[in-house]
Amino acid sequence: MASGRDALLEHYRAMYLIRRFEEEAARAYAQGKIGGFLHLYIGQEAIAVGAAAALREGDQVFQTYRDHGISLALGMSAEKGMAELMGKDTGCSRGMGGSMHFFDKEHGFMGGWGIVGGHVAVAAGAAFKSKYLGDENVTLCFFGEGATNIGGFHEGLSLAGLWKLPIVFICENNQYAMGTPMKRTSAISDLTLKAQGYGMHGDRFEGYDVKVVHERVKQAVDRARKGEGPTFIEIETYRFRGHSMSDPAKYRSRAELEERKKKDPLVITKDQLQQAGATIEDLDNIEIQVEEAVKAAVKAADDAEPAKESVMFDSVMATKLGPQNREEAAR
Amino acid sequence: MAKIVGLPKLSPTMEEGTLAKWVAKEGDTIDVDDLLAEVETDKATMEFRSFDKGVLLKILAEEGETLEPDTPVAIIGEKGEDIAALIEEAKSAGGGGSESKSESKSDSKSESESESEPKSEPEPKAETQKPKRPSGDRIFASPLVRKTAREEDVDLADVKGSGPHGRIIKRDLDAYLEGGGAKRQAPSGGSGWERKPPVVEKASQMRKAIARRLTESKQTVPHFYLTIDVDASGLVATRKEMNANLVDEKVSFNDLVIKAAAMALRRFPRANASWVDGEIHWHQVVDISVAVAVQDGLVTPVVRDADRKGVLAISMEVRELAARARDKKLKPEEMQNGTFSISNLGMYGVQEFAAVINPPEGALLAVGALRDAPTVRDGQLVAGKKMKVTLSCDHRVVDGAVGAQYLQHLQRFLETPSTMLL
Amino acid sequence: MREIRYREAVREAIREEMEADERVFLMGEEVGHYQGAYKVSEGLLSQFGEKRVIDTPIAEAGFAGIGIGAAMTGLRPIIEFMTWNFSFVAFDQIISNAAKIRQMSGGTFDVPIVFRGPNGAAKQVASQHSHSVDPFYTNIPGIFVVMPATPRDAKGLLKTAIRCQDPVIFLEGETLYNVKGEVPELDEEELIPFGKGRIGREGKDCTIVAFGRPYYEAMQAAEKLAADGIECEIVDPRTLRPLDIELLVESVKKTHRCVVVHEHWPYGGPGAEIVDQIQREAFDWLDAPIHRVGSLDVPMPYASNLENFVLPTVERISDAVRRVSYAK
Repeated sequence: MASGRDALLEHYRAMYLIRRFEEEAARAYAQGKIGGFLHLYIGQEAIAVGAAAALREGDQVFQTYRDHGISLALGMSAEKGMAELMGKDTGCSRGMGGSMHFFDKEHGFMGGWGIVGGHVAVAAGAAFKSKYLGDENVTLCFFGEGATNIGGFHEGLSLAGLWKLPIVFICENNQYAMGTPMKRTSAISDLTLKAQGYGMHGDRFEGYDVKVVHERVKQAVDRARKGEGPTFIEIETYRFRGHSMSDPAKYRSRAELEERKKKDPLVITKDQLQQAGATIEDLDNIEIQVEEAVKAAVKAADDAEPAKESVMFDSVMATKLGPQNREEAAR
Repeated sequence: MAKIVGLPKLSPTMEEGTLAKWVAKEGDTIDVDDLLAEVETDKATMEFRSFDKGVLLKILAEEGETLEPDTPVAIIGEKGEDIAALIEEAKSAGGGGSESKSESKSDSKSESESESEPKSEPEPKAETQKPKRPSGDRIFASPLVRKTAREEDVDLADVKGSGPHGRIIKRDLDAYLEGGGAKRQAPSGGSGWERKPPVVEKASQMRKAIARRLTESKQTVPHFYLTIDVDASGLVATRKEMNANLVDEKVSFNDLVIKAAAMALRRFPRANASWVDGEIHWHQVVDISVAVAVQDGLVTPVVRDADRKGVLAISMEVRELAARARDKKLKPEEMQNGTFSISNLGMYGVQEFAAVINPPEGALLAVGALRDAPTVRDGQLVAGKKMKVTLSCDHRVVDGAVGAQYLQHLQRFLETPSTMLL
Repeated sequence: MREIRYREAVREAIREEMEADERVFLMGEEVGHYQGAYKVSEGLLSQFGEKRVIDTPIAEAGFAGIGIGAAMTGLRPIIEFMTWNFSFVAFDQIISNAAKIRQMSGGTFDVPIVFRGPNGAAKQVASQHSHSVDPFYTNIPGIFVVMPATPRDAKGLLKTAIRCQDPVIFLEGETLYNVKGEVPELDEEELIPFGKGRIGREGKDCTIVAFGRPYYEAMQAAEKLAADGIECEIVDPRTLRPLDIELLVESVKKTHRCVVVHEHWPYGGPGAEIVDQIQREAFDWLDAPIHRVGSLDVPMPYASNLENFVLPTVERISDAVRRVSYAK
């Protein structure tokens, strides 16, 4: 186990990687190299990094379509992520998923899922598997506060609570379900009350300090691993960008954004590191390394082969029955 | 009281007629026997005259339409009568003969029939006539039928469909093939056809009649041919003498040949016979059919009692008949019931040819060109005129010896025309 | 060969596969202590215990999702819908998740899961409980759709489904559970492959494609028509996705005529897909347009006289065969 300062440096490196990766993604999007939806995580980095740090090998993580942060935090390479954004064969989903659907089985990343609330029960299923096999692995399931209003969320939590599955539900409450503030979508402001009805632990805290996130998520993960059932965690956070690249975020004021930016998790961690004795050079070194890695990832993605028709056809099913399409037969 | 006027049957063999021209117009007052329209039949363009008196209220058939007899073509009645019901009735009866009104419905109304109720339609006639299509030129056939027709080289235009909308279905084609339906003739020099496809023309009623009758003749009449070479010097001299005595008129060699042939038949009546349904009909008149070429075919007006007429009379009659033939004004009866035919291609330089008999006649004389030829006269070789004639005989009624004997008589009359006076 | 009921054939397939593979489990409403709403799972709880025969709350989206997550991570769930009508509340799970995850993840995650249960109209259960759902699921790439008509097919195909590495929609016939039929002996394992149809009856005059419950109406119609000299060939594709188009085309090339019978509504669906593929592959062999006989285009009414009117009947099938045969 690294010393506290070394661990924090690594957290900073991971958070800085996410931020630089997404800033480059935004640039590539503006250049037309990335299509479709692009949901940025900027401002929420401490949650992904802190939660990922609470896991061990074999644990499994489900996330929504705002999935770049957690993938990188779990250890996926920037190159695979950037290539996926650009629709390349070398991408983490071989160009089949794009921004919303990163997958990285090697690092326990079970995917970015596109339908709000649709993955909650699936994540419970992964936890069900751990209980069924007794493998003592834990599943993390992320979603936004918007998902707590949809049926899939409730059915997933209901069954996880009923069967005491080893899962931690993490609600990243970034205040806006797309453009709608929470006070206009939920009758209660303390979302852990929703989980209470399903008989599970609840926890609630701010997600700007990566150390806090790490510590509190770890408590829940440990409880799950010991067979004490699921936990619902609501983490207050704030995205600095719009819902997606096409969202000008006019539903919130500039003043509000500036106020929130004072709680930028990267700034907070940097301060903590300097207080713990890290030098400017230490931090500069990390930042330069990350920037070069991201630059290299963009270059590699630019140069990579485009997604392949053969993968498109062959990846639909594991069973091979011969071509089902004329186009498939013709290739 | 208004009534529907059907297309009359304008010749005994008319199975369909093309409305060539409406002479009367809607609104015209019509008397009995007034000319309503001209109709092109298998024989000629016929006058279609009214049997009714009244006002022509409605014309139901357009010019150019080919219709079966009795198909409603007009409504005649009193001025101002309501004829809506009659028009409906006429529509529902359209396209069929009087005996087959119910079946013929499917011809014009088939698009409203449900798929599930294919109507039985009259069986196709044994003749080579094409089946009528309810939908113009488009042939409806199932994909299977089209494929099989390609493989078997069948022209689907010859097959009648019994399915919905007249669709040709498998069993129609099977029946057609079992019945020995003719495969399409392989075009000679097919590559040439592909290089430049033929221009396709719809056959006229006359052309269809020629095709039908002559095919029937060649297929059913056992033909054989006898040719003689006639010394025509006497004929040339006789014509010269005759014309020298005529002021405005002139007789032709053909007129003399008609007279001679007719006289020969009178002298030797065994060649003046017809085979009719297992009986031999010995003709008591000598009526000569004369082939006349017209715009798109030929017709055969008849010179009645040619054996009893003078050459000049024959000449004038032939000229008058030929002129009306070219104008398609001959009446059917003027082209029916000849007993013997003459066809002359001599004016085109044809030396001799074998012609197809015009049933039910028993024989036909084909006349070749008059030509300069060395002739032996009194042991001396001299410049003379000769002419070949070929007799086509129906072996069922005219045997070889009979034909030969007829030609002996004919030869005498042609070489020595004065013997016709005996 | 012994005769067993369709219900027993389904149960035997589940039991045998659960015995053979620890990863296989059965999950759904009333599958355990109640012994199955249609008694398909009778006796399985006592044999395999609560760990593997799992009763759920009424939460189709929830337990369908659990099944998908379990399948993605290495188990082999059999998810029972009490009837397929209730699958609509789990539609998103099946379509957006089960059918998509494999390709969306670039081939990383397999989803070996079986969704099964009774399909189609029962007897007078009215419109919300009478759906034949095959058109909804056959449209979707990424899943197999199986619709067996006979006990033997049900058993052989369900065993294949449970061993399949991909999601399978297994549509049992709600009114077929009591149907008896020949099934191989218990020691004779039979796996029927997907994408292979079966000739239910040979004939030379007209092909009837029929699957699921109306397979039996088609067989009756064929008997009736044979008395009038029209010999029908009944072809049951058994799996609708993938479709054994070769077998269908082979039959149509022989008979030149085809009627497609299905329980689903007339607009689109596998019935229309089958017609489309046959007309393309066998165009030159067709002597008549292909006709379809399905349920009438209305929600299912309660009254039994009307229900019988709506479902494909022997008479309507016979009429269609006569139409394409140009027979009176």
